[in-house]
Amino acid sequence: MEFAVSAQPKTNGIAVVNVQGEVDVYTAPRLREEIHRCLDQGSHKLVINLSEVAYMDSSGLGVLIGALKRAREENGDLLVAAPNARISRILEVTGLSKIFNVRDTVPEAVTALEGTPT
Amino acid sequence: MTDRNAQTPDVVRLSIPCHAEYVGVVRLAILGVASRLTFSYDDVEDLRLAVGEACAGAIDAASDEARGKAAINITCRILPDELAVEIQYNLAPYGPPPQRRAVEPDLPADAEGIGSLLMEILVDSAETTTDPETGTTVRLVKKVQPL
Repeated sequence: MEFAVSAQPKTNGIAVVNVQGEVDVYTAPRLREEIHRCLDQGSHKLVINLSEVAYMDSSGLGVLIGALKRAREENGDLLVAAPNARISRILEVTGLSKIFNVRDTVPEAVTALEGTPT
Repeated sequence: MTDRNAQTPDVVRLSIPCHAEYVGVVRLAILGVASRLTFSYDDVEDLRLAVGEACAGAIDAASDEARGKAAINITCRILPDELAVEIQYNLAPYGPPPQRRAVEPDLPADAEGIGSLLMEILVDSAETTTDPETGTTVRLVKKVQPL
């Protein structure tokens, strides 16, 4: 599946970033660019939808960690939604599952963010 | 035909330009090579990820000049019960590494080294050596788990 990323702004400063394909050293900069565009435009509560992501390496994880840090600095948050079993395992073995708030579905993640202060 | 009893490995070699866009080619090649052994799906994916991390490490450490001219050489040694993959590159002739990390510029200092951590966790053996003549060699070994 070809890599693609697009953001879907919602209300209350929430945006869902939909990602498709493989996130690696080549494609991670495009993910970073889209996430930063959301943050620059005032969406500080982000859901990263990984349901269509088959593969993610440390470059992708690095983008998510950097984005989480920036979102929290701006009184926002970043939730990871619907990672596949492989990505869940990578989050687990690296210890990042303790840092990221991971939800099974995008609606669950959006609901969780709706309950946080703006 | 290879004499398996003598444990002489079959060898597959691949060389790519030191550019991020070619790392996916390496992962595809590793998938093909690993499929010749009786690895589980997770084992193959672990090895693909570890090899990808080694290649990403080379690209991250490469100067702009190195990204245009250096090569990353991948050598797979195939035995019945293990696959050893060497990722070799020599960036020294192309100047010092960039000040700013290319692959993970946003990464907080306390989160650096995820790629190295993944390599260590996902394969049975991960060793990195440096040599003035040949540069850096990362050797990753994945063993077939007995049924």
